[in-house]
Amino acid sequence: MRWVDKLRMGIRSVLRRGAAEHELDEELRFHLERQIAENVKAGVTPAEARRRAIIEFGGVEAMKEVCRDTRKGNWIHDFKQDVRYAGRVLRKSPGFAAIAMVTLALGIGANTAIFSVVNATLLKPLPFRHPEKVVALWQTESAPGSYPLTGEDYLDWKSQNHTFEGMSLFSWPTSATIAVGGEPEGATLVRTEANFFSLLGVFPQGRTFADGEDHNGGSHVAILSYSLWKSRFGAARDVLGKFVSLNGEEYAVIGVMPAWYRMPATADLWVPMDMSKKNLGTRGEHRWRAIGRVKEGVTIVQARADLRALAEGYEKQFPDTNRNVDAIVTPMREDLIGNFSAQILIMFGAVGLVLLIACANVANLLLARSTARRREIAVRSALGAGRGRLVRQLLTESILLSLVGGVLGVAIAFGGIGALRVALPSTVPQPNPVAVDLGPLFFTFVVCIGVGMLFGLAPAVQSATVSSTEALKSRGAVGADGSARGRWLRNFLVGGEIALSLALLAGAGLLLRTFSHLRSTDIGVRGANVLTVSVRLPEKQYKTLDQGTAFYGQVVEKLGKSPGVVAAAVTTKLPLEGGQNGYITIPGQQTEKMTGPLVEWSSVSTDYFRAMGIPLLEGRELTADDFEATAKVVREITAAKDDAERQALAAKYVIPTVINQTMAKTFWPKRSAIGKIFENFALYRVVGVVGDVKQQRVRDAAMPETYLSLSWELGDPSRPFALVVKSAGAPESLTSTVRGVVQSMDPNLALFKVRTMPQIVAESMQDTSYEAALLGAMAILALVLASVGTYGVMSYVVGQRTNEIGIRMALGAQPVEIMGMILRQVLSVVGAGISVGLLAATALAQIMKGLLVGVAPFDAVTYLGVAVVLAVVALLACYVPVRRAMRVDPVLALRYE
Amino acid sequence: MVQGTLDLLILKTVALEPAHGWAIARRIRQVSKDVLLVNQGALYPALHRLEANGWIRAEWGESENNRRAKYYSLTKAGRRYMREEEANWERLSAAIGLVLKMN
Repeated sequence: MRWVDKLRMGIRSVLRRGAAEHELDEELRFHLERQIAENVKAGVTPAEARRRAIIEFGGVEAMKEVCRDTRKGNWIHDFKQDVRYAGRVLRKSPGFAAIAMVTLALGIGANTAIFSVVNATLLKPLPFRHPEKVVALWQTESAPGSYPLTGEDYLDWKSQNHTFEGMSLFSWPTSATIAVGGEPEGATLVRTEANFFSLLGVFPQGRTFADGEDHNGGSHVAILSYSLWKSRFGAARDVLGKFVSLNGEEYAVIGVMPAWYRMPATADLWVPMDMSKKNLGTRGEHRWRAIGRVKEGVTIVQARADLRALAEGYEKQFPDTNRNVDAIVTPMREDLIGNFSAQILIMFGAVGLVLLIACANVANLLLARSTARRREIAVRSALGAGRGRLVRQLLTESILLSLVGGVLGVAIAFGGIGALRVALPSTVPQPNPVAVDLGPLFFTFVVCIGVGMLFGLAPAVQSATVSSTEALKSRGAVGADGSARGRWLRNFLVGGEIALSLALLAGAGLLLRTFSHLRSTDIGVRGANVLTVSVRLPEKQYKTLDQGTAFYGQVVEKLGKSPGVVAAAVTTKLPLEGGQNGYITIPGQQTEKMTGPLVEWSSVSTDYFRAMGIPLLEGRELTADDFEATAKVVREITAAKDDAERQALAAKYVIPTVINQTMAKTFWPKRSAIGKIFENFALYRVVGVVGDVKQQRVRDAAMPETYLSLSWELGDPSRPFALVVKSAGAPESLTSTVRGVVQSMDPNLALFKVRTMPQIVAESMQDTSYEAALLGAMAILALVLASVGTYGVMSYVVGQRTNEIGIRMALGAQPVEIMGMILRQVLSVVGAGISVGLLAATALAQIMKGLLVGVAPFDAVTYLGVAVVLAVVALLACYVPVRRAMRVDPVLALRYE
Repeated sequence: MVQGTLDLLILKTVALEPAHGWAIARRIRQVSKDVLLVNQGALYPALHRLEANGWIRAEWGESENNRRAKYYSLTKAGRRYMREEEANWERLSAAIGLVLKMN
C-alpha cells in the first residue's frame, strides 16, 4: 500500500475511531450469530448454542486488541497516551519539573531579551538607504582626538571632493524654548542642512526639508521627533501645518520622524540651519558635525584619501588656522556604536555563559533523574516494553518539559524586552528599534530544548549499558549514585556551573566597584546642594549686552534674596559638560597658534565659585569691576565695523580671567600664574587660580580651564545660560522658586534641564550604572541557577545513598559523621569549581579592563568576596539535603525500596 | 497454522469471489474436508492485517440472510502477492516431499 494510502488510513482510523470500533463489533457479532445459527442447525438448544459459540469464539477483547494494533493508525493514539503519561510522571515530581522548566525559561527568556538588545544596537545594519555608504566626518586638530568641523572647511570639502555623492552639515544638539499654544517648555533642537534626511534616506511623515530652506537664515519649518509629537502634540493626526513657537518665533510643522529614529538620540526637533558663511563661522572655529554619503563604487578608504588630500591643501593655504587639521572619515556604524562595542560584547559573553549554565542545569537534573529511574526502566523493559516504545515515551516527557519551559521563556523574553527598552539609557545608541528578535529566540529555544531532549534520553541510553537483572537488583549497593562516569559527568557539570557563576559575579563585582568609585570621585565642586537650570532668552527681544545684563543681573539678585538660597550665579557651562575650548598662545613663551593643550572656556557671574563650591587657591575671584571692564570691551568689539577694527581693539585691552589649577600647572609650572598674560584673539590676564573641575567624564582628568566674566558672553544674550543656585536645604525644593523668579521677569520663558549637581553626575555615569546593573542581574541569575543545580543534584545524591547511609548508621556512624561524608563530596566539587572560576574571572577581568576605573582587574577584595559568597551559597544549597541525610532512620533506609 | 499460510488460504478463498469472514472460514473448512479449522481469533486479525497491507479490500454489503456484513475482495496487488506465495509454497512442499522420500 502506498504510504499516502497508509497515512490516509491512519488518519481515518484515528478520526473515525468510534466508527471503526463499531464496525469491528458488528463484524464479530455477525460471525457469532452465524456460528450460533450453525450450532442450532446441528441440533443444539439456542442457549447451549450460544454458550458454545461464545466459548469457541475465544477472548474477544484480546482479539479486538490485536485487530486494533494492525490498524496502523495506532501511532497517534500511542502519542496521546505518551503525552498523558508524561504529564503524570512530571506531576509526580513537581519540584524537579518546576526547577527544570524555570531554568529553561530563564535561560531562553533572559538570553533572548538581552541578545535582542545587542542585536538592535550593535549588530543590525543601520536603517538607512545603503547604510554602509554613510560616513561621519570629523577633523583633527593639534591636540589629540577628533573634533567638529569648521564651516569653511566643510563647504570647501563639499565643493571640491570627487568621491562623495553628498554631504550634510548639522549642529550639536542645543536647547530651545518651545511653546505649543501656551506653556513654554525646554526642548533639544538640532539644526541641519536641507539635504540631511534625504541624504540618509530616512523620510518623515509629511515632508523633509526642501532645497533652499537653509538659505536666508533658514526657513521657519520644523520636523518633530516621534516622542515630541506624542508628548506635546498628543499624537494629533493633523499636526502638519500647525505652528510651534521656537525661541519666540513661529515655525510650521512639516513632518514627524518615525518612532525608531533617534539620531542624535536626544533631539526633539530639527530645523533647517542657516548655511550662510556668516553663521557657519570662520576657518578655525570647529563647531559643526557632518555626515556624508560615498559615491557608488567608491570605498570609504578612497573617500578618506580624497578629503585628506584636500585638507593637506588647506593646511598649506591657511597655515594659521588649518595646521594639523586633517580629515577623519568614519563609517556611520562605527561612529555611533564605536564606544559601546566592548560593553555590548561583554554583555553578549555574559549571556552566553548564563545560557551555558542553564543548559548544564537542565542536563544535570535530567541525568540525575535518569539514574534514579534506572530501575523503573528496567522493570518496564522486563515486562515487555520495546526499546523503541521506551525511548519514545522518554522523549515525549522531555519534549513536554522543554516545551512548557520554552513557552515560559518566550513570555519572559517579551516581558523582559519591554523592561530593557525602558531602562536603556539614552546614551546607548539605538539605531534600530529594540524588539524581540525571532532569530535569537528561535536559536535559544532550539538550543535549550535540544539539550533537554538530549539528556532526557539518558535513561534509555543508560538502560542499554546495564542489564535488566543488574538494575533490578541494585538497591543500596555502595556507589548507588550511578556509574563512575555518570558521577564524574555530574560533578563536572556542577563544578562548571559554579566556576561560570563565579566568573560572572566577579565581573559584576568589578563593575560595581568601578561604579562606586566613580560616584565617590570628587569632580571638583561641592555640589550636594546645588540646583542648575538652563534658560534661553528669545532672540527677538534680547539683542544687546545691556538687555542681557539687565535680565540676568536681576534674576541673580532676586534669587539671592529668595528664601532658602545661599548663593546664585550664572554660567555658560556646567561641570562635566565641557566642549567649548580652544588654543592659546603666550607671548614670549608659546607663540605657535592652534597648538598645545586645549583650554576650556567659561563665562561666569561673580558668585559662581561660591555657588558651586569651587575653592579659590590663589589670587582673587572675578568681581563686579571685572564684569564692567569686560563689558566695555565687548561693547566696543560689537560696535566695530570690520575684522581689522575688532583685531585692533582686541589687542588694546587685557581682560581679567581666573584659571584652574591644571592650567596654571600646565603653562606656568614653576611659578605662580598670577599676573601672567595669554592670548586667544584677545589678551587675558590671570587674576586668580581656582580648583579643578572635571569637564568631561568623571573618569577623565580635568583639562586646563579659564573663566571670564559673564559679560563676555552676554553680548549674545539669547544663547543658553545656566542658572546655578546653592540651596540651604534640598536643592530640588528651589525649583519652583527659580521658575517663579524667571517667569516673573518674562512669563514666556521655559526652564530646561532642571537638574541638581548630583543628578548631573549620575547622568554622566549612566553607562556604567547600566552595565553594572545588567551584568549584576545576570550574575545573580547565574548564581540562582547554579545553586538550584547544586541543590537538585545534592538532593538526588543523598536520596540515592540513603541505603548506604542507613547501613552506616546502623553500624554506629553518628549523624555528624554522615554530614562530614556528604560535605566532603560537596566541598571538593565546589572547591574545584571556585578555583577554576577564579581563573575564568581573571580572564574576564582582562577583557573588561577598558571599562574599569579605580579598580585593578586583579582586585583581591572583589575576588575573595565573590568566592566567599559562592561558597556560602553552595553550602546553603546543600543544607536541606544534608539535613535529610543526617536524619535518615536506619530502619526505614534499609527497607528502602 | 503458520500465519503466512493462513494468509495464503484467505487470499485464495477471496480470489474466487468476495466473501465475509464467516464465509471464508466455512469455505476453507469445507474445501479442506474439515482438516483446516480456522479459529476466529486467528481469522479476524489476519483479515485486518491483509487489509492494512493492501492485499484485500473491505466493503459493507448485505449478507444472505439480509444482515449487514463486511465483504473482503482481492486487490490487484493482492493477486500478485498471492501468486508469488503460491509459487513459494509449491517449491517448499516439493522440497519437503523430496526429503521425506529419501529413505
